[in-house]
Parts: sequence; structure tokens; C-alpha cells
Amino acid sequence: MTDRTGITHPPLSPLVWTIAAFLIAAAPHLAAMPAALAGIVILLSMWRITSGWFQWSPIPGWLRILITLALIVLVVMAYGGLWGRRFATGLLCVMLAAKSMEMYQARDLRMVASVCFFLIATQFLFNESLPYLVYLAGGCWAATIALIQIQQIPAMQRAHSGAGMQIQRRSLNQAATLLALALPVALALFVLFPRLAQPLWGLPDEMLDGRTGLSDSMSPGAISELFLDDSPAFRAEFDDQPPPYHQRYWRGPVLWRFDGSTWRTTQFANARGRQSVPITESSLHYRIQLEPHERRWLLGLDYPARSSMPESTITVDHQLLSRHPVTTLSQYEVISTPDFVPDAELTQSERLLATYLPPESNPRTRALAGEMRARHPEDRDLIEAILQMFHDEFSYSLSTAPLGRHGADEFLFDLKDGYCEYYASAFAVLMRAVGIPTRVVTGYQGGFWSEAGGYLLVRQSDAHAWNEVWLEGTGWVRVDPTAAVSPLRISQGSRSVIERERALFEFDWMFELRNRYDRVQHLWNQWVLGFDAERQRWMLERLGLPRLGATGIGLLMIATVILIAIPIALWLLREQHRTARSEAEKAWLRLLRHLRRRRFRKRAAETPLEFALRIEPELGSTGAGLVQLALNYNRVHYGPEDPELTRKFIANATAWRSTGTRAKSGNPMT
Amino acid sequence: MTEILSREWQDDSSVAALARARAAVNGVILDKAEIVDLAFSALLAGGHLLIEDLPGVGKTTLANAMSLAIGGQLQRIQFTNDMLPADILGISVFKRETEEFEFRPGPIFANVVLADEINRATPRTQSALLEAMAEGQITVDGQTLALPQPFFVIATQNPLDLVGTYPLPDSQLDRFLLRTHIGYPSQQEERRLLIEPDRRDLLADMQAELDPGQVQNLIAAAAQLHVSEPVLDYIQALIKATRKHAGLRAGLSPRASLALIQTARAYAFVNQQSFCSPDSVKAVFPALASHRLQPIPETGIASEDVVSEILETTAVP
Repeated sequence: MTDRTGITHPPLSPLVWTIAAFLIAAAPHLAAMPAALAGIVILLSMWRITSGWFQWSPIPGWLRILITLALIVLVVMAYGGLWGRRFATGLLCVMLAAKSMEMYQARDLRMVASVCFFLIATQFLFNESLPYLVYLAGGCWAATIALIQIQQIPAMQRAHSGAGMQIQRRSLNQAATLLALALPVALALFVLFPRLAQPLWGLPDEMLDGRTGLSDSMSPGAISELFLDDSPAFRAEFDDQPPPYHQRYWRGPVLWRFDGSTWRTTQFANARGRQSVPITESSLHYRIQLEPHERRWLLGLDYPARSSMPESTITVDHQLLSRHPVTTLSQYEVISTPDFVPDAELTQSERLLATYLPPESNPRTRALAGEMRARHPEDRDLIEAILQMFHDEFSYSLSTAPLGRHGADEFLFDLKDGYCEYYASAFAVLMRAVGIPTRVVTGYQGGFWSEAGGYLLVRQSDAHAWNEVWLEGTGWVRVDPTAAVSPLRISQGSRSVIERERALFEFDWMFELRNRYDRVQHLWNQWVLGFDAERQRWMLERLGLPRLGATGIGLLMIATVILIAIPIALWLLREQHRTARSEAEKAWLRLLRHLRRRRFRKRAAETPLEFALRIEPELGSTGAGLVQLALNYNRVHYGPEDPELTRKFIANATAWRSTGTRAKSGNPMT
Repeated sequence: MTEILSREWQDDSSVAALARARAAVNGVILDKAEIVDLAFSALLAGGHLLIEDLPGVGKTTLANAMSLAIGGQLQRIQFTNDMLPADILGISVFKRETEEFEFRPGPIFANVVLADEINRATPRTQSALLEAMAEGQITVDGQTLALPQPFFVIATQNPLDLVGTYPLPDSQLDRFLLRTHIGYPSQQEERRLLIEPDRRDLLADMQAELDPGQVQNLIAAAAQLHVSEPVLDYIQALIKATRKHAGLRAGLSPRASLALIQTARAYAFVNQQSFCSPDSVKAVFPALASHRLQPIPETGIASEDVVSEILETTAVP
């Protein structure tokens, strides 16, 4: 097993397991890495396995250092700096792969296998969902198997054999047992670790990778992938039945400013609202579990009156805003009053902003608006007429066509086909053209009611845009032009409308399965990810424990872990503690305990005589007579019963123990 | 050993004769007291002994010495590949005078049979011997003939990978109570071997220390030896470990566990103990178990390694 350079190759099996554990732990990171770096990591790992198989000489030390330095430079260049979660984990992956170049001794393997556990944990910085947990538990298993086999390297080398099927099977079982034994302790640590009100980390400067979601601007034709994204946006639990479909308008960013093609939010509207929404009989009480989206808006039904989220505000245009970007799963309660009509009065600046159109834009739309205005002097009639026009002449589809400078013109006169953003935008332009204050509201509409789970699931694909029109003497009134075109969209959700376009790869049973799976995810969010200080306190109170501070909970945690660990430890050590069958055995076990204190331990598989023969020379003068004692014990323990001999043996054993101790204390030098 | 046999056996002449026989064999076979003890244990447990090793390490010398020391009728069969069962069992010859067939007994009719290089014979011939070993009798021409008692076979065989060998089938290996290896002598003992008189001369000078009647007595005495509960537990734990071991095709049979307890008793008796201790069980277990166990081939582990692993991991009660 030793090659010319004097390096001993480890047996193949622990090496393969270590690298497998590393690759499993690194795979999710690799997927998010620049492809070249991921390629290098995989290449280095594969090289190490191949060189282990063919017993190649290791790479010389100077070259290893050179490669490592080059890799560090490469990583820094690839991530463009020394900061961020992605950079740190990327560097860790690449360096571990580089470490494999010098992985020849058991301690190198052990180091890599141990760091794999840390690498696994870092994945939760990016994704905390249930499938990942299952996947990464598999990673932990692999790393544990690797550690167990690394422990057996000396034995494998002695036997001049690799690991047979039997060793594989045994280490698989052992690793599973170890993880299973660790589970109760891990649970106790999870439940009882003192929680902080705020998460320890969360880097708001970095956007979550490629996550779709609402944005603070809207240019029709630009973001239709949102409607194909079935990932959950949030879930809402209602105390009673959920509101009817046509009331489920979840308010997100409100867009006021329009430059001819893009709608944007406005800063002034983010100020705290001047008018508080009253809470009435018809108000809805519900709880939202919001997936992280890295922005500040919290979603609520029209019109949110109050929320339990600390430091949240309700703005002038009735958005619910959090003080910090939502970087972790957030749970909060909201009270909304659906039949409230806000803002009977409009300030001058609001009126200006809500009626502004860039000059010269969309001339045909302006002309059409003027024409229709002439026929319908009443605001409500005009709105009615426009909706009727949409209903008669337009159709709903998810096909996108990027619009040019006169977006509304192109849409109203040429395209006549589109989805909510086109309608909301065109409608607002028509209204503003005749001086009616109008704004675009984005958010979500609808949601899937999970009867079994008792909650409403709102997906990204439920994203929607609608309008609010300010009517003299009334206030802001919601108008949803998309509903006029495609009433189905509002009454049954976007899915029913776009069915045709996705039917190629979507089936009902898949949809059903996703809904069922979401329930599991919901419980996971609620009880694991959302297990915060609040829930911890609630749970402890349920258990009849008084209010404990962080220190109290910490002590409780330590006590619980000890309480759980004791039976496990006893079970693991069960073979060491046997109950004596006879007086003679008791005396013998006392003798063994005495010797154990003097660092002489009898192996379970040793017979009394073998043990005595092994350690008598080591004991020196203090050990004299031990073999004789063992022979006597053999006689009384394994021979026919003889009370006389038994009594003699017990007396001898006791005497031997005391002389042994005396001799030891009398001659501290020996 | 301090604990000698209980009084009723201490004065028995056959016990003293056994000790002398053991000493005599140890005088010829240097430095292999363990192997000699195993050989006598096989005898006293009423079984047969298979010695497997390379040519020239003293297999035949040991077998010769054993058979000479035990006494009684001694026969030696050198196995070759052209041997027929009749060469072992005997043959019926037509006698002209009486006009009848008369059976001429073969070399198997003896108290001690030394079967040299047993795996050089064809399986057919091997099985003739092995049937006799199992039954203690032979059947020729429809006639069943009992073999003399005691009947003790010492067989030697070459390692299986040598040229010109027919491996014994598993079922027939089982007929041998113990299988043991001899191994090379130590430096010191090899020097003695070189300067001392020829082993063949020593053998020629050997005389029988026991007679068949004494051997029968000793076998009966060994079977009476006390086996305590903890030792029974230990034996059962070892047997169970072979059955649970993932690297083995199958564990030891109940026949093997009976053989284990008998052999452990015999070993203790040979060592003049009045009871059977776990040390005796440990001493005989490798020779008893390793030829009865087949490891799963893919593991690449020898059955000897599995057996020592089991001994190293099974707790002694």
C-alpha cells in the first residue's frame, strides 16, 4: 500500500465515502456557483478518487500550494469581492476540494468529513425548505459513514483488505444508529435553545437568488414569468371561512407614477397614513405566514386596519409596510375591513400625481378617452362603458408583447389581448386622460383554500394588478378591468384562464399533489421555521412552566439534554454493567472495578485467566497472586459449586485488593 | 494448573497414562503443545482430527506420534489419486475351497487410522473413509460390519491450492471434529530439530502408553466433566455470533454446538481440570469452527479471521 514516495494510500472505501459526503453537501452550492468553479470542485474530487484507485503519487507540495493560491484568486474574481454568503460558501467548497489533493492520512480525511457537517449547515442560509432538510440529512448520513470508516482504516490496513460488503453494511447501520441516537438530543436543543426576538443573521443587502415576486415597478409585458411560478407567496389562516373569491385582493405596492411605459411607487405614499381604517363587524381577522421576499411590503386584504407585526406601518395608500426587508419567514396577524372606502378628500399633490400623464404620450388613447367622455359625462358611466368595451372586444392571455413608447395605444388598438398588467395600465391611462385620479395597485388576487389545512395558499402565480379610481364624494373605488375581460380570472384564479397554455405539462393530479404537499410545507413553516421566541414561550406555558428568561430556558435546555442523554448512554454502555449472579462474581467484579481505577480494564471478550496473565506482569510487584486468584475464581465460578472454596476466594480477593492498594500507596515510585 | 481432576479420577491409572502419552508426543513434536492438546481433545471427545498444512511441517510425524502413543491397533493409509474404496474398506474374495466369498478387512479396521494426504484421493474414495468415520461401521456387499472401538482417524491434507488435490466437500469436512494447522517451528525449536536425533528414530522408540480400554474409559470420563451455566451461556453466545455474522453464509449447526461442548470438556480433561472453563472453549473454538464456516466469497475474509473476530467480540460471562 506504500508507493515509492513513501505515502500510504488510505483504503479506497473511506476515501470514496468522504468525497461522496463532500459532494452531497456541496451539490446545492455547486448549482449556484459559477460553472467554472463548480467544474473545478468536481474535477478535483474525481481526480482524488481516480488517484486513490490507481495509487498515483500525490501532487508535490509546492504545486499544491500554487494551485490553492490560484484557486483563492479565482474564487475572489468569480464573486467579485470578499463579501457575502455565496462567496464564503463558495470558497469553503473550493478549499475543501483543494484539501482533497493532500488527503492521504486518516486525520485529513477526518477533517474533511467533519467540515462536511458545517458545509451542510451553511445550506440553510439559502434554503430552509423541507426537501432540503431530507436531502441534507442524507448528507449527514454519508459524512457519518465516512467518519466511521476512517476510524477503521488501521484495521483495514492490517487485514490488507479494503472494505467488503459486510463492512459497508455495518457502517451504514452504525451511522444510521448514531444519527437516530442523536435525534432526541437535537430535538431538545431545537425546542429549548433560547430564541432571540430577531434573527441573528440575515443579510438584507443581498437579494435571494432569482426569486420571483412583486416589484415596486410595473411595465406591462416585462414580467410574465411570475404567473408561471407556483411557489408559495404567503399563506393566510382565517378564524372562520375565508372571504369570497372576489374579495380576495391582497394589497401590495401601489403604483402612482407613470412615465409612459413604466408604473412606479412614490416615496410620499410611504408615509404613515393619515386616516385610520375602522374596525367593524365585517372586519376580517387572519394570520399571515409570509415567505421571505427581501422587500418591505407585508400583504394584507383590502384594507388593512391593524397588524401585529412590530414596527410595521400602514401607509397613505394603505400598504402594509415592514420596517425591515422580509428576509426570513414572517408570521403576523392582520385585521382588514373589506367594505371601507378610503379618502373622501384628496390632497392637491395626490390629485396631481394621480392624474399625471407624460405629455404627447399615447395620443390615440387620449383621443379615445375624450370621445367616450363626450358620450358619458358621468364618471361611473364612463368606467362602465370602458369595461364593457374591454369585455366585448378584448381577450385574456398570458402571451407577452413588449410595448413601446405609446404602450396604451399599442395595446388598445393593435394588440387587444393580454393579462392584468396591460389592462390595469391601459385603464389608468384612459382614466387619467380625462382627469379622473387613478392609481395601479399590485398584489395578489385569490388563493387556494386548503380545506384540510384551514388556510388559504397564495402563490406567486396569483399575482395581479388592478386599479383604484378616485370618485368625487366617495373616495378610492376599486376597479378591476381584468375582471371585465375574463370574469373567470377573478372568480376562479389565474390557473383556470391560462389552463390552455400550460396544459402540455400540467395535469390536475399534479396540481392536487402540489396542494397536498403545500400543507406539509405549511406545518413545517409554522412549527419549525416559524418556531420563534413567541411560540417557544407559548409552548413552555402550555407545559405548565412559568415565564422563563433566556437563562432559565438555557438551563432547562441543559437539564433536558442531560436527562435525555443519560438513558441513551446507559443503553450504549449496557454491556459493561452486568449484574452478578453469585457472591463470588460480586467479589470478582469488585476486583475488576478496583483494577479499572488503576487503569487496567478487562476486555469483555477476555476470560478471567487471560486478563490476569496479561496484566500481572504490568502490575509488577503489586500484582503478585492475581493469576492464582483468577484460577481460583475459575474454579468457583465455572466449576461445581463449593461453598468452602467460594468463601476462601472472596476472602483472598478482598485481601488482594487491600494489599494491592497498600503496596501502591506505600511505593509511589512504582 | 492448580485445580486438578477430582479425586475419583486422580488415582486412575488411565489418567496417568494419558499424561504420559501427552508428554511422549510433546517429546517428538517440539513447541506445539497447543496442537497436541487439541489432538488429544479430538480423541477424548470421540471425534476425528484433520491436520492441514504444507508438506514437511510435521503433519505425518504428529499423526504417527499420536497413533503410536494411543496404542491399540494402528493402520496407516497413504492416499493416492488411483485409490479405490475397496483399498480402504476391504474386499470380498472368492474362496475356492469353500466356494464362498470371504471378506478380507481393509486398513480401516483399526483403533487408530492415520489417513495421510486424504485430499489426494478422488471424492469417491474419500467418501468411503468419511462414511466409516460418521457411522463407526461400514457396509460391504450388503453386510454391515462394526469397526473396532475406539475408532480414531487422524487425517492430514495439503492446502487446497496445491496441485493434485481434490477438496473435501463441506458435508464431509463436518465429519472431522477439529481441523488444525501446525505452522513453522520457532527458531529455537528448529535448531533443536536440526541437532537432535532423527524424528523417525524417536518414533521408532515410542511405545504405546494407552490401550483401547483406557481410551474408552477416558472418553467416558471426559463426557462427565462439569459445565457451569456461565460457560453454557458463553458457548451459546459464540454459536449465536456465527449465525448473526453478516460475513458468513450460515452459522454453526446444533451438531456443531454439541461438538463444541464435548471438545471443550475433553480439552479441560486433557489439561487435568475438573470443570470446563471459558478458556477451554476459547482454545478449541477456532479448530472446531473454522472448517465448518464458509465466509461469503466477496468479502475476501478467511473463516479463521471471522472466528477470531467472533472470539474477540463475544463477552465472557
